[in-house]
Amino acid sequence: MKKFKKLMAGFMVAALMGTMLVGCGSKGADKAEEPAATESTEETTDNAEAETPAEEPTAALTGGGTNLIYIITPSHSNPFFKTEAEAAAAKAQELGYEVKTVSHDDDPTKQAELFDTAISEKAAAIICDNAGSDATVAAVQKARDNNIPTFLIDREINESGIAISQIVANNYQGAKAVAEVFVEAMGEAGKYAELLGKESDTNAGVRSSAFHEVIDQYPDMELVATQTANWEQAEAYTKMETIIQSNPDIKGVICGNDTMAMGAAAAIKAAGLKDIAIIGVDGSDDVRDEIKAGNITATALQQAALIAEMAVQQADDYLKNGTTGLDEKQLVDCVVITKENADQLSAFRYK
Amino acid sequence: MNNSKQKNNSAIIMTLLKGRTLIVLGILVVFFSIATPTFLTTSSLLLIAKHVALYGILGIGMTYVIITGGIDLSVGAIVGLGGMIAGGLINEGLTLKMFGVTVYFSVPAIVIITMICGALIGILNGLVITKFNVAPFIATLGMMYVARGFAMLRSNGATFSNLTGKEGLGNTGFEFFGRNIGGIPVGAIILLIIAVIAAILLKKTSFGWHILAIGGNEKAAKLSGVKVNKVKILVYMFSGICAAIVGIITASQLVAAHPASGESWEMNAIAATVLGGTSMSGGVGTIGGTIIGAFVIGVINDGLVMCGVSEFWQMVIKGLVIVFAVVIDQFQRNLQAKMALQSRNENS
Repeated sequence: MKKFKKLMAGFMVAALMGTMLVGCGSKGADKAEEPAATESTEETTDNAEAETPAEEPTAALTGGGTNLIYIITPSHSNPFFKTEAEAAAAKAQELGYEVKTVSHDDDPTKQAELFDTAISEKAAAIICDNAGSDATVAAVQKARDNNIPTFLIDREINESGIAISQIVANNYQGAKAVAEVFVEAMGEAGKYAELLGKESDTNAGVRSSAFHEVIDQYPDMELVATQTANWEQAEAYTKMETIIQSNPDIKGVICGNDTMAMGAAAAIKAAGLKDIAIIGVDGSDDVRDEIKAGNITATALQQAALIAEMAVQQADDYLKNGTTGLDEKQLVDCVVITKENADQLSAFRYK
Repeated sequence: MNNSKQKNNSAIIMTLLKGRTLIVLGILVVFFSIATPTFLTTSSLLLIAKHVALYGILGIGMTYVIITGGIDLSVGAIVGLGGMIAGGLINEGLTLKMFGVTVYFSVPAIVIITMICGALIGILNGLVITKFNVAPFIATLGMMYVARGFAMLRSNGATFSNLTGKEGLGNTGFEFFGRNIGGIPVGAIILLIIAVIAAILLKKTSFGWHILAIGGNEKAAKLSGVKVNKVKILVYMFSGICAAIVGIITASQLVAAHPASGESWEMNAIAATVLGGTSMSGGVGTIGGTIIGAFVIGVINDGLVMCGVSEFWQMVIKGLVIVFAVVIDQFQRNLQAKMALQSRNENS
């Protein structure tokens, strides 16, 4: 028994050290996985034309019978989704529809329940920012089987021919465009860090590899740290502080979204560093204000309001004419927001 | 002869086991000092202290709760709500509809109001647990959702940003809690103050003795005159106040309050507490242990980031350390029981 205890104590220490070593060694391995995610978004434009007409011959869906449009989005705690839902609701009301706005909180099960509710309420159409590219397919199919057309916004699903439209922001183009601004702000040289979004989320990979496609062309740009901050402000703040600690000579930060850019900017301010280039993606009003104040360099605006309105307009066209007259998959370009045009941005809408 | 040598050995192992978290912390520090040259510098350690302050303070409240045999899952949500209350009061003030005026408070008043809100939520937790006899896990799980929901409702999900206050309204200076005094982060100073108070309360006062007594044997404590319900309510109140303070500190650091902040932080607090040797079944625990536990987590988090290790490995390593700590904890308990038995046998 005594020996066993000693053994255990020794084992614990050994295992601890072992995992550390493995952990520290895996720096490079993680990065290799990223690029794969990009291609799927790029291809979408080409696929769309080929596939949509082939699936169309079945009779057009006419809706459940009521004049009700269901708008299903992630939690409104993120202003992006709030704008999206509100813009869609306003547009639908303007076109004379009744509207129900609900949130699935990124839970596919809850989303499936909401689809069921929409079906039982005989909704005319569903506008949805979905809770998972695979998990959503069945729900959209079920709506289709019940004669209700679904229009997807912001995120795609892994199947075409089921939803009527899939309108998404061109993350890839947006991230590339904002990375160009970043490189210019850095003077094409210097050390920079990267804060990744939730790594299980496709967009995190797409944005990261688009950033690198641009930045990696410049040999004098040196990536010194990559960390996940899970799209979160507080996490970006602490991680950024720690990164600065080991790399005090850092000159720039690329962030997968605006919330993390806000956290990084706060950490840089707290560390007393100046003239650091920071970029994000999304185009939130908070970041717009920081851009105006000179604390953040640029962001790529995903036109959430525009995308939501397009979806509602297409739903209306489809219900009236049996076709949207457009491809199923549509990419909407992002707008780069810098100090020059920051004033034109308000609530994810560019004027 | 042989017997006494064996006893001696057991005593050595016992001491090692008792200081296990400190030993782990030492190993981690040595390891990271070798792995990254920037780790063992004053500024790095202060930075770690700043990060540790957040879940360290939560952990102190959690330690009291867990010693009584309970658990408080609502602290993360209270962090979010606390930040939103403070942020809202700074940016929007308090609108009294019946008088048609908006009142702006000074920063100290805002801090006190936020702490009172945290205390009230804690008291509510305590009341539900004691008066309605709901299991702490369930009661605080419910409160977690309620508090998070109210945090979201406060701004309809939006962030209160730019919490610098306005000179004209006399509410500037909120950033203080995210700053440094003489190079030392304010958060770390607050952690130290709360830790000292909490340790004295636990060790030197009858209140502390009652907390330990309830966790050891609630019925016996009740029979010997401890006001069990009152003590429990106070314990949850204290945890709520700690969480509200963390809400203020994190909002102050970011100069922004987001309703989702503090999500799953209760887990870090529980981990720090357990690493520090507090028993989940109650009756045993120290504040000092929890602080060391919090530093173990902090050193792992920051050290691995400095190493450039991915988040996924950070999770794996953190999880392993926690489970190992509890495994060792069980060994210590068994050994302690055995030694006690041994000495009793020898005496008789």
